[in-house]
Amino acid sequence: MPEVFVFTIDKFSFRVPTDRLYSAEGLWALAKDGIIRTGLSDYFQQRSGDVAFVDVQPGGKRVRRGELLVSIETIKITSDLHSPLAGRIASVNPAMQRSPEDINRDPYGEGWVCELEPEDWEEARLSLMTPQAYFAYIQQDAAQELE
Amino acid sequence: MPAKKKLILLPCSGVGKPFGTITREAAYQVAQEDRPECTQIVPLSLLVMGDADAKALLMDAEIISLDGCALACASKMAAESGAQVCAAFNAMDVYRAKRQYKPQGISSLNEAGQQLARLLAEQVDAAVDKLTEEGTQDARA
Amino acid sequence: MPELKQNKVGIVSCSGEELAEGTVSRLAALKVLEELRPGETVTICLPLFLAGGEGDRAFARFYPTIAIDGCEKRCAFRATEMFSNTPVMGIVISGLTREQGLERPQGCRKLDETGKKLVEIASIQAAEKVDELLGRRWSRREGVLEPREEDSAQSPKSAPGTEPGQTTCSCGSGIPVLKLKVNAREVEFLALPSIFQNFLENGQPPSPQTLSALMESVKLYTPISSDIEEAARAAVAKAYKAYWDTWQERRG
Repeated sequence: MPEVFVFTIDKFSFRVPTDRLYSAEGLWALAKDGIIRTGLSDYFQQRSGDVAFVDVQPGGKRVRRGELLVSIETIKITSDLHSPLAGRIASVNPAMQRSPEDINRDPYGEGWVCELEPEDWEEARLSLMTPQAYFAYIQQDAAQELE
Repeated sequence: MPAKKKLILLPCSGVGKPFGTITREAAYQVAQEDRPECTQIVPLSLLVMGDADAKALLMDAEIISLDGCALACASKMAAESGAQVCAAFNAMDVYRAKRQYKPQGISSLNEAGQQLARLLAEQVDAAVDKLTEEGTQDARA
Repeated sequence: MPELKQNKVGIVSCSGEELAEGTVSRLAALKVLEELRPGETVTICLPLFLAGGEGDRAFARFYPTIAIDGCEKRCAFRATEMFSNTPVMGIVISGLTREQGLERPQGCRKLDETGKKLVEIASIQAAEKVDELLGRRWSRREGVLEPREEDSAQSPKSAPGTEPGQTTCSCGSGIPVLKLKVNAREVEFLALPSIFQNFLENGQPPSPQTLSALMESVKLYTPISSDIEEAARAAVAKAYKAYWDTWQERRG
């Protein structure tokens, strides 16, 4: 179980596990056995609301860094999220079709979105935020929102 | 003719999202308009407080839960009360089947939200009919 | 109630679908949340107290809440009291109906005129209480909230082993934080000053029992992983003892 940073606003607590990297858009990337698993951060999912639909680029497709990876639709927003790395989509979580609410229920676990075989991970990881940086970033973002 | 057993409807009680309102609207549609003779709404707040009468009602009835989100408070509260849910619905699933109806408004649903409530009510009506039919057959047997 | 900066008030409503009074309570809560004081209030979902809403429970424990109930069973008030903290105000629609000399409202699904009138009265009462709690006044002439009064409350002195300077969470929520050294590393504990104050006001001196209760409260706001739990426990114990001793010295 990795260490988790948490901050609380009103009744909402936002969690940032320290075992992965984050994009400013709100995707996380977790490297394991040469595969990069991605998903939506707790902060992003809570701010977006209940996920009704998830459209992930199909398995097998090659994506460039910055190319559309996943679109989500909630009652509040429709949002496109872009790939934090270049690579081939090795698998898409079947739950994204069956029960996209897994993103809300367990954003860092069962609610993962897809896995990529990376082509530029060493370079791509440098453009992602560390958990500490992402934690500071979302706190600042929330503070600005409150103002 | 055997007496029809009352079915309990447990709608979500959330006031923060349109889906809570959709479940309530659907529950009212079923209990007040479509199937008033065999359905009754029990508020979740009574179950939260462990109200003895409400719990007793649940124990002696078949329950249909109508949840508004993935937290599924209605289904969970039924389980907490020791009752068994015979049919479970989630307003989000109705929306997923009808993406064109985007619900808005909590105190007052927009037309799309009302459409979803009607669709949910139709599904609940069907479940009520099925459960009462089964109950009648059981009674005959 | 701990002395957290009170920048939000929780509104807990009865769900009461079987009574028109329940509908009045829900719509009154929504009117406060959506129209009258949207920036100052958050809703707290009653079933979530039991169905896993840790955030809802923690919020109601540390921030003021107003319960709006449909009937004398007062489920919203009692559930909040049971699972979190006593609400600062309870509005009961059936009682309000009598006070106002009105007939009982009708229409669970679609309220009659009496019901709508009660929604207005209850929501205004709740909104006025929100203003009072947040130290604000509603300017009837301007139709806006007057500026907030400056908080003149004194902060307690920093306890040894803590870092002075950062007294509230940098997220802007107004929740005070305390940094403690745990295994030679600084860990930020959300709401710890308020938790200490709460225990102190309850007259709970440093002891193993107090520490266990303290840790339960601490974990509501700051998750503690098992590998640092013992060290965190020791750090909280030391800080609370210092907090307690400082208070005793001040009292003379």
